[in-house]
Amino acid sequence: MNIFKKVFAFFLSLRTTIWLFITLLSLFLYGAMIMPARVEFQGLFVQPLFTWMNGHSFTITWWLWGAIVTMAFMTANTVICSIESLMKRKSARQWLLIISPQVVHIGFLFILLAHLLSSHGSYKATAFAYKNTVLPLPTGLDVMFKELRIDVSPTGFVREWAADIQYFQKGRHIKDDSIMPNSPSFMKGFGIYIKTVRAAPFPVAVIEISREPGAWCALLGGTFFTAGIITLLILKIRREDAASLKAG
Amino acid sequence: MEHPLTLILIIAGAFYIFGYYRRFFVYAGILFQCSYLLMRGAQLGRLPLVGPHDTLCFLSASIAVFAVPIAYRVRDRQRFQHGIVALVVFFMGLSLIFQPHTMPLPPVLRTFWFETHVAFSFFSYALFGIAAVLGVLSLTYDGGVPEEAQYTAILVGYSFFSLGMIFGGIWAYYAWGTYWLWTAKEVWTVMVWLFYGFYLHARLTSWWKGKPEAILGIIGFGIVLFTYLGVSLLMKSSHAF
Repeated sequence: MNIFKKVFAFFLSLRTTIWLFITLLSLFLYGAMIMPARVEFQGLFVQPLFTWMNGHSFTITWWLWGAIVTMAFMTANTVICSIESLMKRKSARQWLLIISPQVVHIGFLFILLAHLLSSHGSYKATAFAYKNTVLPLPTGLDVMFKELRIDVSPTGFVREWAADIQYFQKGRHIKDDSIMPNSPSFMKGFGIYIKTVRAAPFPVAVIEISREPGAWCALLGGTFFTAGIITLLILKIRREDAASLKAG
Repeated sequence: MEHPLTLILIIAGAFYIFGYYRRFFVYAGILFQCSYLLMRGAQLGRLPLVGPHDTLCFLSASIAVFAVPIAYRVRDRQRFQHGIVALVVFFMGLSLIFQPHTMPLPPVLRTFWFETHVAFSFFSYALFGIAAVLGVLSLTYDGGVPEEAQYTAILVGYSFFSLGMIFGGIWAYYAWGTYWLWTAKEVWTVMVWLFYGFYLHARLTSWWKGKPEAILGIIGFGIVLFTYLGVSLLMKSSHAF
């Protein structure tokens, strides 16, 4: 019972939060230094994080494992502190001022969950596509690049590009779509992206097929985080103004 | 002079330097610098936020603009003004070293998400810069610079920074199929976010109150500068500038 109390007190402490921040910052600082120096990290662009980490030596990945453990501690710390804060001060008059940091925390937790989902289940593949190229998708569908459209300026600058695509299921045409930069096509959880093109000697496009299972969670987290922090900001500034008016 | 608009920027710089003595000149400097940015924007048909020249100039203008309301929260406005003028002139001078970016933008950068991502990021950098100035002043002079002003600047900056990261994530998802890339810039950006998160939590404890808090505000801007200039100039990243 005593140990349980001690563990609870550890996770309830703001001092723990501070040490977790310092640990995480140190790990990321090491990572930021080592990443550009080691070629192995290039693999992170094409593989889900966990797959990449399992395939590489601990001497390269230890800081990422350390960051995951620290973030797990941080999650427990955030949840326990938020619950305690809400329970302790439920009778307070300025409930928005108490709720808004907790909304920020919820956003943070959703963002962590998003990274967890994407680190486990993301997918990325790159291919070249010409007119009438057919690419198979992991969902069992096929996508055909019906037309590539490239707009080149008189000076030779490629201004715009797009591709008309068609989806097929077991040889049956099911949907038409068009893709261009910043405007991918989504089908059954996968996105088809046109990254870049070459106009000569014949039109060819670099295509990326990707799945990001944490995207919805990251957006939800971002929304909570923004809502919480803006509310907190307005309330704090109002309180500060009221205090300075009183003092003045 | 290769770029005729640069003259307006130099005039703005001269006004800022006079602003060291009279606040009126700071306002005149802001007016000229914002006019320069507006004219650059009109010339390019977009927000001037690409390349070191435009981003440094935008950062300098943002510092000057955000410092105006914060100055009213500082008792020793004269010293605060001196620090801000130095920072604004420094970044403006640095922007003049680089050639303005005049090439048409690649399609992937022509989106609302990119513009808001960059604009919010630079608003936050500006506020973190102001917080660093307040930190230096509170360490150098007793009184006159309340820690609350530094906290407010950092809290507003942190909000803008978070918004910039969220909008950047949305843009990256539409442009590259992922909201997160494992490049040096992203990792350093997370470090900025974590560092100011650390600041906001640390200041709630008595040990970090006062001088340590002011020092954190200064160190934070050092990390911001490395993330913005150091990573872009020295490391390979998705963010060339």
